Amino acid sequence: MRKIEKSKKIGTISAVMLTLSIVVSYVTSSLPRAFINETKSATLLNIIYITAIVLFIILLFCRLIQKFPGLDLLDISYFLGGNLLKNIVGSCFIFYFVVSSGLMLRNFCEGLVVVYYPLTSYIFVILMFIVAIAFVNKLGFNSTLNTAAIVFPLVLISIILLFCGNLGNFSFRRIYPVLGDGFYNTFILGLKNIGAFGGICYLYFIPSMLKDPSKLKKIAVISVISTGLFIFLCVATLLFMFSFFINADEIMPLFSAARYIEFGSFFQRFESVFLLIWIISFGCYLSISCKFSTHIFNKMFKLSDMKPILNIFLILIFAISIFPKNYASSNFFEIHIYRYLRIAIGFILGMTILILANLKKKKVGDKN
Amino acid sequence: MIKISNLLKRIIIIIIIVIFIFSFSSSYDSLNIDNLAFVVALGIDKSTENKFNITFEFIVPKPSSEGASETEPVLESVECSSITNGINIMNSYLGKKINLSHCKLIIFSEELAKEGISDEIYSLINEVQVRPSANIVVSKCNTKYYIENSVPSLENLVPKYYDIFPNTSDYTGYTCNATIGDFFNSLICNYCDPYAILGGVSSSETNSQAETLDDASIKSTETPITGGRLAQNIGLAVFNNDKLVGELNAIETVCFLSIKKEVHSFLISIVDPQDSNSKIDIYITPNSTHKIDVDFVNGTPYIKIKLDFSGKIYSMSKDSHYLDADVLDAISSSCNSYLESQFSSYLYKTSTIFESDINELGLYALSEFITTTEFDNYDWLTNYKNSTFDVDINTTMDSGFLLTQT
Repeated sequence: MRKIEKSKKIGTISAVMLTLSIVVSYVTSSLPRAFINETKSATLLNIIYITAIVLFIILLFCRLIQKFPGLDLLDISYFLGGNLLKNIVGSCFIFYFVVSSGLMLRNFCEGLVVVYYPLTSYIFVILMFIVAIAFVNKLGFNSTLNTAAIVFPLVLISIILLFCGNLGNFSFRRIYPVLGDGFYNTFILGLKNIGAFGGICYLYFIPSMLKDPSKLKKIAVISVISTGLFIFLCVATLLFMFSFFINADEIMPLFSAARYIEFGSFFQRFESVFLLIWIISFGCYLSISCKFSTHIFNKMFKLSDMKPILNIFLILIFAISIFPKNYASSNFFEIHIYRYLRIAIGFILGMTILILANLKKKKVGDKN
Repeated sequence: MIKISNLLKRIIIIIIIVIFIFSFSSSYDSLNIDNLAFVVALGIDKSTENKFNITFEFIVPKPSSEGASETEPVLESVECSSITNGINIMNSYLGKKINLSHCKLIIFSEELAKEGISDEIYSLINEVQVRPSANIVVSKCNTKYYIENSVPSLENLVPKYYDIFPNTSDYTGYTCNATIGDFFNSLICNYCDPYAILGGVSSSETNSQAETLDDASIKSTETPITGGRLAQNIGLAVFNNDKLVGELNAIETVCFLSIKKEVHSFLISIVDPQDSNSKIDIYITPNSTHKIDVDFVNGTPYIKIKLDFSGKIYSMSKDSHYLDADVLDAISSSCNSYLESQFSSYLYKTSTIFESDINELGLYALSEFITTTEFDNYDWLTNYKNSTFDVDINTTMDSGFLLTQT
């Protein structure tokens, strides 16, 4: 029985892949476009800047959580404010995971409909993902983790190929003017791009799932650096290639870049292969979100069986994904609301709980 | 009980599969090859009655007695108010759905291009099927006439010809691989202007005019070529924003491609320093040490272009001494002065006459600004016409190929 329990735990590599799978879904939809539209030619500078800030935050997170070995944010919330705070924090994160997955799914499927399924309703494309995730959930979370561990390297290869295959179309001088829209826009308003590191939110709940919780720091640091590099590579491809992302929007910008890759007259039209890899990775993201939502819910209400709840969350994700009236509404959410939600819940709420819990522990320790 | 639940699961799976089959079959049908008509070239003309006259070139495969597949181009035209409407009307007429995913060439008539083609470019880019690598041509004649005359003389397949001909820019520099993706990119950017391949159909009248021209000064319809195919693609169509403002001839296109670093080699004819009455042909290869700098002097751009080339002498005659360093130096300096005058004339022509930065020289000015707002306020595209150019050419001359001395 213990062996089975241990096999359900997440290893270091799987944990890193898990957090990186989250960023893949952001990057393949509209994240790079949002970066470039807002910080213009200073996008790469902005990415380096926010990666450094997130790295600092994550080191702080590791230091704060060090005093609660093997405990996740829910346990820490319980320690800080009892069941009430635990349920509030849990509900916030469930809301965030479910709503973000639903709307990301909608945006991604809208792109797929435009590109490949012109006569199919987006609802069926969304349903295809939902059904696939339902089947995956039946196989257990390990299957998702293993898939993510296999698919993410493929995604990385596809992105590197995208970068190298388009080298001929690059103008490296597009990084000028160095400050883009100015110092304030790059370094102050640009702080909102911190939301791109959404995978961090999942790290709050990972400690209790890890095979070796002492490796959390290693996992967190590798995840942040890899996420930063991954976003850098994707955004650099678009920035060096196109001048138009500053003035015009295009659905699935990386897909647009993939359409330019040609190796002679024989190797052309690579975008289909890329999209297939990104679809699988997006499926992993949905499955991970679903698993974490269920994990939090079960922990909140102390339920033992996870499987029936998983399908309920899938139905919720489906309902949210078909809720926006059109692509414009879901895109508005993704660009103007979602990232603030990520910052508010992922960074502010999570870190505040950890800081307060540390203060309480110190106070309790002092009294004792 | 277990059996009933298993049966239920199977029924659910079958239902799901059936739902997906039905929901995705419509998209599959629309992409089924039987229902599609593949366009290989799209010609867009200005129409007198309506707004556009659109010509579609389709390919119908026909069996060949020799076993190799041959194709027969089919041309259909429609008068319409927009490209999308034209496609829609043609779908109805053909009884098939037009597919642009294999469209290699998009041709605009000169008349339409002069009025501006941004709306058409935006619409075409908005179409998923149109590949960004599709070449864009401005035809000096009616586009239907251009397509009719674009019959390859050495190829069985028209699409293959459309695919291959822009590649000649690599080794002649007389045409350019101008794509709709690049055109769109340039249309939107605030430091460059678009360009397209200059196409046309030659006639006996234009050929007689061309006889008086220098070999390097030719352009589509003004060439000394007579052959099976009347359509020609020599030179470049220059745009200011979305409007056609001028044409470049062969040697100017070479200059354009050299600055863009998109030509691997080209041929020039220069005056033989040993005999001013004769000319020698030099095979030029650009080196990778091109340098472009943009400074601002009294608020106007001062553009320094330093280009390095290697040259080999093609022309051979009796008493050639191409191992003699003095002879090679003399040819080098003759070559330098010829190229400097060509590059300067090209740059001033595009900046002062066309007021168009097709070479994206504004890209080199970006580093002079701290923020994009500063650059936007400077308005590069308006100020480009006041640019001063300092062209420095350095050609290192080698002897000939197999023969070095006669």
